Amino acid sequence: MLTIGLRFFAVFLCAVIHSALYAETISPLWLSDSSPHAGHGKGSQHAHSGPVEVRRGVFYKHLWLRLGDPPNEDGLVVGTSHLSPFSILGTQGQKEKVEVVPDDQHGAYHLEVAMPDEGFYNAYVQHEFVIDSLRELKIAKAEFLKHSCRAGHDDIEPKMIPRSNENIPLELVRERLDGEDFHTLQGFGDTVSFILKYRGKPVSNTEVTMITQHGWRNTVKTDMQGRASFMLIRDYYPPWNEFKKRYAQNYLVKADYMTDESGELDGVPFTQTHFVTSYYGSYYPSARDYNSYAYGLSFGLFAFTLTGAGVYFYRRRRNTAYREVRFDEKD
Amino acid sequence: MKRIKTAINNMDLRRFRFWLQLLFFALFVYGGYLAINLGQYLPTFSCAFNEEGRGGICFFLPMQHLLGMKWSTLFGWAGLSVVLGFLYFALWFFALNKAWCGYACPLGTIQDWITSLRNRLGIRYSRYDQDQFRKLSRIKYVLLVLMVLIPLGVGGALLPHDMVTSFCEICPARMIVPMFTGDFSQLTIDFSSKTTMILTALGMLVTGIFLVGSFVKKRFFCFFCPMSALHYLMAKPALLKLKKDGNKCTRCGDCYRVCDMQIREIADEVDDPRIMQDDCILCLKCVSACPEDGALKATYAGLTVFESTEQGFIKRMNKGVNNEPG
Repeated sequence: MLTIGLRFFAVFLCAVIHSALYAETISPLWLSDSSPHAGHGKGSQHAHSGPVEVRRGVFYKHLWLRLGDPPNEDGLVVGTSHLSPFSILGTQGQKEKVEVVPDDQHGAYHLEVAMPDEGFYNAYVQHEFVIDSLRELKIAKAEFLKHSCRAGHDDIEPKMIPRSNENIPLELVRERLDGEDFHTLQGFGDTVSFILKYRGKPVSNTEVTMITQHGWRNTVKTDMQGRASFMLIRDYYPPWNEFKKRYAQNYLVKADYMTDESGELDGVPFTQTHFVTSYYGSYYPSARDYNSYAYGLSFGLFAFTLTGAGVYFYRRRRNTAYREVRFDEKD
Repeated sequence: MKRIKTAINNMDLRRFRFWLQLLFFALFVYGGYLAINLGQYLPTFSCAFNEEGRGGICFFLPMQHLLGMKWSTLFGWAGLSVVLGFLYFALWFFALNKAWCGYACPLGTIQDWITSLRNRLGIRYSRYDQDQFRKLSRIKYVLLVLMVLIPLGVGGALLPHDMVTSFCEICPARMIVPMFTGDFSQLTIDFSSKTTMILTALGMLVTGIFLVGSFVKKRFFCFFCPMSALHYLMAKPALLKLKKDGNKCTRCGDCYRVCDMQIREIADEVDDPRIMQDDCILCLKCVSACPEDGALKATYAGLTVFESTEQGFIKRMNKGVNNEPG
């Protein structure tokens, strides 16, 4: 009886370990700017690309490494081996490596990026391991903006060009919206497009999945140019008096790609490589959701009519009728 | 040199002003299409909400943003950026003084066009009496003080963040100027919060009143304009000045009659040569309407650039320029 029990337990344990390993295998790794620590937001302030910390005039972005989907802000990555240093791609294309260090509160991997210049920064981290002769390489990417209106709005066009890092094997590059500038927020109803690049070249006919904060997901295949497009759905229905136009909803875009790349990782041989890449972004309620022309024009017309009528009647009241006065010179 | 001076003094100021206003209007409302960008410290309503066409940005928007920073930031390193911003604004302002209102302001130009329309329709204009004038003149200072205090209150977390650009929300330029580039998106009520709802509704009400007010009263909005108040507070060191020689004035009152802003002192004041008042828009219509040699003059850095002459007055009268006050 004891032997049967032990066997059942062993099978159960194997199933748990396997499912955990499998989950780790298929789950994307991603970077989020939402702090997992209650006290961390105290020094942060709202900026054009989510929360930042400002110290001596320099903006700092904080990112936490997470695992799994949907992006519900759980699944902090704690104590993982084979994690590459973070790669930072600056606004001018300059590259920098930052060692991954677990933060001191929960041991979760945390990155602080200084943003001295105006423009977009990319942060990447890679994690690799081998299971059953298959090398799993996960890439997490976050793109974030540094903008302060004090720095002006001149010559921003070159800074808007999406950039990719050729050292990253598989990367999702977000294309800009029509007329996008530093103040543009992705909103409900907008179509956001990504180019999937493998070693710098677009990859066609590959599945790309978007997962929103509330779990909505959509999978499309890349076209010949490697482009995958998603319409951002409305996924925020608060009571009208609790509506926030700056309510940020996070989304995660991920893509898988299998190649015959072979080799060894720490002495363990592999014959194939499975890449999983992710891109983390945010979107907001559309202005169409809370702006009303009908009420606006009604108010304007009301004021126009009332003032016009007021002036007309005021002037009419002050007009005195012509009265002829006759003088008799004899009087 | 004398010939040039005579030609300037005899010029048809109305026509000159019309074309100069048109030029500035094109610059500030459509300049963006020609990649013109004069920065964000302009002392005139080159409205930032006219995103496509603007040739620069009115200083009030960045000023409110700057003052709306967290107090710890504002009263730290960032305080310098506020001072610098104000200095840039002052440099622009010193170049033209209040002529920014009379010649460059797109909202002022639109009011002048509405006045022309009324004139062509043969509808008489309204005037305030002196008591109303004195009371209304104070409103712009109240608005200016509020425009400084409200963002400061936001920075200190005393007021909701949506109030940080509250003046822009109620300024009619936000609604009207973008319409000239086909952008009607500002004619809406923003229901995203109670604050924005109230402010945008107020903005639409002000726009309705502005359109009627400008039709019946010349330069209606300029009486309430906090930019005009800020200009006046900084006007002393400016390069362009309006001066009056009281000894040459006969107090005929022509200057007062043509003044769009109804500034009585232009006719009554004979002691102080610095005649420019807080409501003055430096349109120089008073100089062109004055029949006395050298009684009124505009100087730039101390040099006389335009002055009243009998010859110029007669020439303009013969053209019918001064026949209609306004």
